[in-house]
Amino acid sequence: MPIVQLDHIRKMYDTKVAVEGLSLTIEAGAMFGLLGPNGSGKSSTIRMMIGITRPDSGTIRLFDKPFERAALTRIGYLPEERGLYKKMNVLDQLVFLGQLHGLAATEASKRAKAWCEKLQIAEAIGKKTEELSKGMQQKIQFIAALLHEPELIIMDEPFSGLDPVNAALLMDTLLDQRKQGRAILFSTHRMDQVEKFCDEIALLYKGKLVLEGSMREIKSHYPANRVHVHFTGDSTFLQHAAVAKFENFGDTAEIVLHDGADPQLVLHQAVARGTRITRFEVMEPTLEEIFIETVGENVDA
Amino acid sequence: MHNIWLIARREYRERIKTRAFLIATLLIPVLLGGLGFGSGFLAQRTKASAHIAILSDGSVLAQDLKHELEQGKDSNMRVDLESLDDATVARLNAQLKDSKQGLVGYLRVVPPADPQSRPRFIYRGRSASDIGTDTALKQAIKSVLMREKLTGRGMGLKDIDAMLAPVEIENPETGDTTAAFFGAYIMFILMYMVIMLYSMNTARSIIEEKSSRIFEVLLSTITPEELLAGKILGVGAVGVTQTSIWMSAAGLLGVYFAGSLSGSGGHSIVTVPQMLFFVLYFIFAFLLYSSIAAGLGATTNSEQELQQLNMFLVLPLFCCMMSLLTVIKSPDSTFAKVMSLVPFFSPLLMNLRISIGTPQPWEIALSFALMSVSIVAILWVSSRIYRVGILMYGKKPNLPEILRWLKYS
Repeated sequence: MPIVQLDHIRKMYDTKVAVEGLSLTIEAGAMFGLLGPNGSGKSSTIRMMIGITRPDSGTIRLFDKPFERAALTRIGYLPEERGLYKKMNVLDQLVFLGQLHGLAATEASKRAKAWCEKLQIAEAIGKKTEELSKGMQQKIQFIAALLHEPELIIMDEPFSGLDPVNAALLMDTLLDQRKQGRAILFSTHRMDQVEKFCDEIALLYKGKLVLEGSMREIKSHYPANRVHVHFTGDSTFLQHAAVAKFENFGDTAEIVLHDGADPQLVLHQAVARGTRITRFEVMEPTLEEIFIETVGENVDA
Repeated sequence: MHNIWLIARREYRERIKTRAFLIATLLIPVLLGGLGFGSGFLAQRTKASAHIAILSDGSVLAQDLKHELEQGKDSNMRVDLESLDDATVARLNAQLKDSKQGLVGYLRVVPPADPQSRPRFIYRGRSASDIGTDTALKQAIKSVLMREKLTGRGMGLKDIDAMLAPVEIENPETGDTTAAFFGAYIMFILMYMVIMLYSMNTARSIIEEKSSRIFEVLLSTITPEELLAGKILGVGAVGVTQTSIWMSAAGLLGVYFAGSLSGSGGHSIVTVPQMLFFVLYFIFAFLLYSSIAAGLGATTNSEQELQQLNMFLVLPLFCCMMSLLTVIKSPDSTFAKVMSLVPFFSPLLMNLRISIGTPQPWEIALSFALMSVSIVAILWVSSRIYRVGILMYGKKPNLPEILRWLKYS
């Protein structure tokens, strides 16, 4: 079942076009990456998806039905602008936000405690939010987005301001959620952070969709023609017919292959000539490289 | 509806738990009561006690005046009798300039050319605004002159004193006028304070949510209209709780004192209808003023910015303050009637008129009707400003921008 369907949506703020003719579909159980540099229209798109603003034209369908506010309780949202009531007790806060998403108070309280245990912040539960560290507040907000077991989880820049340990913890939790069949929408300008997790992506640039599809499909259009080798011994294997050019750094080398050439042939030649290979990696272009190639200019992400 | 209830309940619980609520609930009535009682007490007990000099040609009039000013019922002055000549005037002028001297002024009694007419009284004071001494002098001169005239017509001193004795008006129906006046006055000030306090609380609460960036999360399930309604209801409910506590306490105290003080004739300073109207007018005033405050809160990002805009709240309240005396003196004048029907003034002025006079029932009904219409109109505008403003961070919008917000769908 498609969870989100956007059909040619467009949004203008005064004279600035925020989103233009955007269409995309997010399926259940998918990890969907909404990517693009700052100001490319990601947050505007999300805001329309969850009814904070309305598109000027185009239609939005949620859970395979025309947009209706009742569906919003089935969505969990972590906004880019994090915010909690500073003076409010953590548990009260989570229960309150859970209730707004249709949970009963007792159920919300039970789940909130379980989640705090799971994310290793059980000691925070009786404290006021302003007494917590920034990382802890992030986790509280993260819990608030997941407490009502939403079928669509929207994460806007979820890792900004998180240390690597906590970022990994959150990522594991999200992967766990995906396993349970929930759709996850990632919105970020840090393409490198999500490219290995996303099944599908949509790349936005200046409010327009520049690239969309499954990760595998997109990458298949961009040939994996670069090889990174660690070796010791004879380096003559680099002079192979399949190699367009190479750079030899002594014990490592960067190789660019001819289009359509099989990297396996190079590896075979190295082994045949007795070179010790400690690493042989055929590298796909990164999303960032693909993005830059697509829009044809360098963008500071 | 459920969402509005959730928002309102959170707002109410979080506010009622704070120490500020407890302190305000306890302290404001104590302060106001103390102030009202204290100033009333002082006004009754303080007599004019200035030190002045009377310059005359040694007439009996000057001596009587000295006696009246030193021992009269309203004054307790120190009076020096001096002779009326230029040297004394020069000396006293010098004394007036020297602030270390206690002398506040001198009165010259210049005998008239025609012995049948009144003498001229010329006063020179240190301060031009010393109303107390001025009033005491006028009173004393008047009664001395009257006494002199009556004696001249052959009336005995005893008869004169009996005639000049102050009249006590008994007022068994409404109780002591002074007490009722202070009651109404304190209620007025209290209303002024709670309107200001709670409408500002609405604005502050919006700014707090805005600066903590919680709006995005809230708006992902509920509409800005629900959020605004919940907020106003929540903050308002705290205000109603507080004013109800005050009114009940005032009622209980009133009954208690009425029982123990026989002098007040069994009348409480604040009557039950007054208390009910107070709470009712507070509710309407709060809705009216906090609708404005919500618009202000949504367009600003910080308390400081709000301070610059709060004249929109203070100005109407200040107008009420300015017309307070006129309305108290003649609560049924056309001016009072018109002013008390203006929706922004009704909660203060109509409520005041109910305490001290008897406005027609249709006037009271009309005031509520006009307030209701204004509340709906203002709420319409500010909910539109609110809807856009709460997601605008950073730059403070200018007026054309705010007007454009009204048109957003």
